Formats: sequence, structure tokens, C-alpha cells
Amino acid sequence: MNDQEKWDGLLRQALAPAAEPDEQLNRSVLQRIREGKAARRVRRKRLSVAAMVAVLTLCMSVTAFAAAKLYSSQQVAERLGERGLAAAFRSADAVPINQTVASGGYNLTLHGIVSGAGLRELDGPSHDIRPERTYAVVSIARQDGSPMPATSDPSYGQEPFFVSPLIKGLKPWQVNIVTMNGGYGETVLDGIMYRLIECDGVEMFADRGAYLAISSGSPFFNKDAFDYDDQTGVITPRKDYKGVSALFDLPLDRAKADPAKAEAYLRQLLQPEQQSTGEPAGEASDEAADLAGQIEKLRNKIPEGTVIPDSVQVVTYDDKGWIQYEYDGWSARLPVADLFEEGQTGDTNAVQFSGDGKRFKALIFSRDDMGVITGRVVDLK
Amino acid sequence: MEIEELSELVRLHGKALYGFCYKLAGNKADADDLYQETFLKAVELRHRMDADRNAKGFLVAIAIRLRKNSRRKWAWRRRIAPTAAFDEAAGGNAATNATVALEHEVLSRELRGAVQAAVDGLEDKLKIPLYMHYTADMSIDEIAAALRIPSGTVKSRLHKARMKMKKRLEVETR
Repeated sequence: MNDQEKWDGLLRQALAPAAEPDEQLNRSVLQRIREGKAARRVRRKRLSVAAMVAVLTLCMSVTAFAAAKLYSSQQVAERLGERGLAAAFRSADAVPINQTVASGGYNLTLHGIVSGAGLRELDGPSHDIRPERTYAVVSIARQDGSPMPATSDPSYGQEPFFVSPLIKGLKPWQVNIVTMNGGYGETVLDGIMYRLIECDGVEMFADRGAYLAISSGSPFFNKDAFDYDDQTGVITPRKDYKGVSALFDLPLDRAKADPAKAEAYLRQLLQPEQQSTGEPAGEASDEAADLAGQIEKLRNKIPEGTVIPDSVQVVTYDDKGWIQYEYDGWSARLPVADLFEEGQTGDTNAVQFSGDGKRFKALIFSRDDMGVITGRVVDLK
Repeated sequence: MEIEELSELVRLHGKALYGFCYKLAGNKADADDLYQETFLKAVELRHRMDADRNAKGFLVAIAIRLRKNSRRKWAWRRRIAPTAAFDEAAGGNAATNATVALEHEVLSRELRGAVQAAVDGLEDKLKIPLYMHYTADMSIDEIAAALRIPSGTVKSRLHKARMKMKKRLEVETR
């Protein structure tokens, strides 16, 4: 036996598998996949207690592009493992839109939207869809033709996007996908990023009019990317914004508007602190109440949570003086004033939560007496 | 991928993949997580997998990527997780490797620990091919395909890893 063979044998023995998966673990893997949790796992829910208003700059030119080479809403839902939704996007109630605009160096396409009755017949234990929700598919492609980073690429997600319905006449920083109990699944196919969003149904707002907004620079609504006219309630992309800022009109059926339900929903959404004592006002309001209750529960868990040591970082500042924080997929870029009152020290009231429905983490910022702001991610067990 | 196909993947490659995950993660809890996440990710990416061709490589490559993406988290967890977990598992496994090349030599627990420590000291570029080859029992070509590097590079990395370990073990046993 030569030296090489001896070493081969030694290593083969020393590095042989030291453990095997137990039966329960294998059953758990198969069960999770059977339940379709694999697809839901990529969905990130971002919940925000105080609106964490974020930042960037925009430039936009509206151009129409054909969406011929792109995948359809149905195909995207299938790729994300959402078979029920794929069927919904095939149904007569789905609204194919396939409209593309260019903004900030990207081509943005709204593929389609489905909500309400179109989903009702598909609702059931075997489908992960809910008729009171709205689902939409958008795609984001680089104008120069270079591919978007694959989800396995370390640079994936480094340029955050906000994709959300906005309602005409309602302050977009108050009513958007974050506050409307939203979430999304994302995939990159042939260098184009597709996002399937979902949130509380927007059909009840059909009489007001709704938009689908896309902006870059932050996963949250960005005041620098859009203007809101208090008088008319109209929302417009800001032309001086240097990132992505685009709005699509959502073609909602006015006949499906439900002003009473919308009113009750907004009452709950905008006054979460009163929810625990108020009477529930319908399905959608129950969801809003659930959301506020969930946020409150998560908040209460923070003191007992485990701080992730590597996440504890003193923030840096960009050339505008806004704080920047990056850690393991978490990203924040926003003015200090959005986090702290003047002279305020200690933890900020604004907390960003992320979770998969079972396990949650929170991003919290604190400021010390010297004005040093530190971010930390807390694992809420 | 149908659930039956996945069950078959788990049956065929579960042990090798788990062994590999265990080596990378260093303890049972993290190995369980990485193993589960790898299969879940594999389902997401199933359209890229050709089950007839290097399915094990596909799974191992996913595990490597998942671990790389969260390596800081893993590093931290490893720091607080005592390495005793490895010793315990390795000790319990000593009698199950009767068919390996050195069948007349049962490695002492100390030597096994020394080899593992030497591997731990290697950089990922060398350590990962070692685990793929000796733990997941992958051929040079399978490793090359999974890591998307030439077979010659795999060979040279394995050789380099062995040389570094030899040097280190010789110093320690002197």
C-alpha cells in the first residue's frame, strides 16, 4: 500500500459520515414538501410597526415594451410551486395586463392580477390561496440585458425592490403591502426576476382606484420615489428619483367596490391600538386585527429574544446622511429622523419584522448618549 | 418532482447528504436544519435537476451554497455549540466502517479527532472537496460537475488538502 493509498484509507475512515438522518427527520422533510411549504418558504413577510420609510432617488421614462419573451403569471405561480394560484391566473377572473414601463435602468412588467371571486372556487384545504386576498405578478429585468442575480447568488436581493398596490386617496406610506398583511415569493428565470405578491384584497377599493407601484432602493414605501397629492389623492412617480419608480393603474371592476367594508378595514388598519377593544368589522378587518395583534405579540417577545451577535453593527451613513444597515438579507437605508425623535436615545419604536409564519426575527436600532446608532437582529423564539 | 421521486432521492442520497451536512455544520441541530433546507431548496430548483445525472452532486452543491450564504450564522452557532457533539457521533460510528480500506486498523478516537481537527483547519476550498469525496462518496467527476470546476482542479485540491493535513498531523504527533 503506497502513501497515497494509506492516506486515502485513513481519510475515508476518519471522514466517513459520522451520523445518519433519523427516520423522523426524513418524514419531516417529505411532509414539509408535501404540504407545499417549500414554496411558501421563499415568501418573506415584512411587517412594520411604525412605518419605516426608506429612501432613494429616481428617474423614469415610460415606454411600452412587448412582454412576449416573459413568463406568464400562471407560469410564474407554477415555478413558485403555487399550483392553486396558477389555476387562478388561468381563470376567467384573472386580469392579464402585460404592460411594461422602463424606469431607473429596468424594464418593469405587470403581468396580471387576480383577486376576489376568481379565487373563491379554488379556495380549500388543498390550495394555499384565500379569496379575500389579491395576488399579482410583476417582473423586473435590466434594460442593458444583463441578468438579474439568481436567488442562489450572494448578490441576490442587494438591490431591494418595493412592489405594492397603492390606493388612490389613501396615504401610500400608511396603506401598502406592508401594512396590508402582504408577502411575496420571488424567483429568477432566464435572468429576469419575477415576484408574486399577495396582500389583503384591493377590490373593495375599486371605486377609489388603485395602482401597482414598483420602486427600488428599499423594501418599504419610499417617499422619495412617489408624490402623494393630499388634495386629489393622486399618487405619481417622482421624476427626480434616480432609482426605479413606476406606477401601473390596476383595472379593478368598480362594481366590486365595497365602501363599507373598505371603511371598516381602514379603521382597523389605521388605528391598530384600538383593535383589542373594538368589535371586529368583517373578514378583512379581522385580518388587520390579527396583524396588529401579531405585531404586538412579536414586540413583546423582543426582550426575551436572542440577539444575533454578527448582526450587531454600528450603522454607516450615505452621502445624504441617511443610515445604512446590511446584515444577512436585512437592509435598511433611511433618514435618522424616521427612527428617532430629536434627543431620543435607546431603542427606536420602529421595528422591522421578518418571518416565515412560525419563526420571526426583528431588526431594531438603538442610539446611545453619544449619538451612535447600532442595529441588531433579534431571533424571537 | 413528484413526492415519490423525492422519497427516492431521500432514500438514495439521504445518508450521504446528511453525513456531508453534519461535517459542514458540526452538530446535529444545524445538520438537521441544513439537510432539510437542502431538500426544500432542491424542490424549488427541481426544474434544474436531472435526477439521472449526478442528483447527489446537485443536492450537495445546494447544501454548500446554503451553508456559504449563511456562513457567518453557522460560524457563530459553531462557536457556541461544543464540538463534543462530533466526538460523540464519531465514537458511536467507529464500528460501522469495517469495509473501508484500512480494515485492519480501527482508528482510535484520538486519531479520528486529530484528522477531523486537521480538516477543520483547512480553508473551505480544500475542505469541501474532501468532504464531498470521503464523506459523500462522490467521484472526482461528480465533484467537478457539482462545483463547476475542471476535474484536474478537484484532483489538485484533494492532493493539496492531503498534503496540508499530513504536514499538520506529522507536526502534532511528533
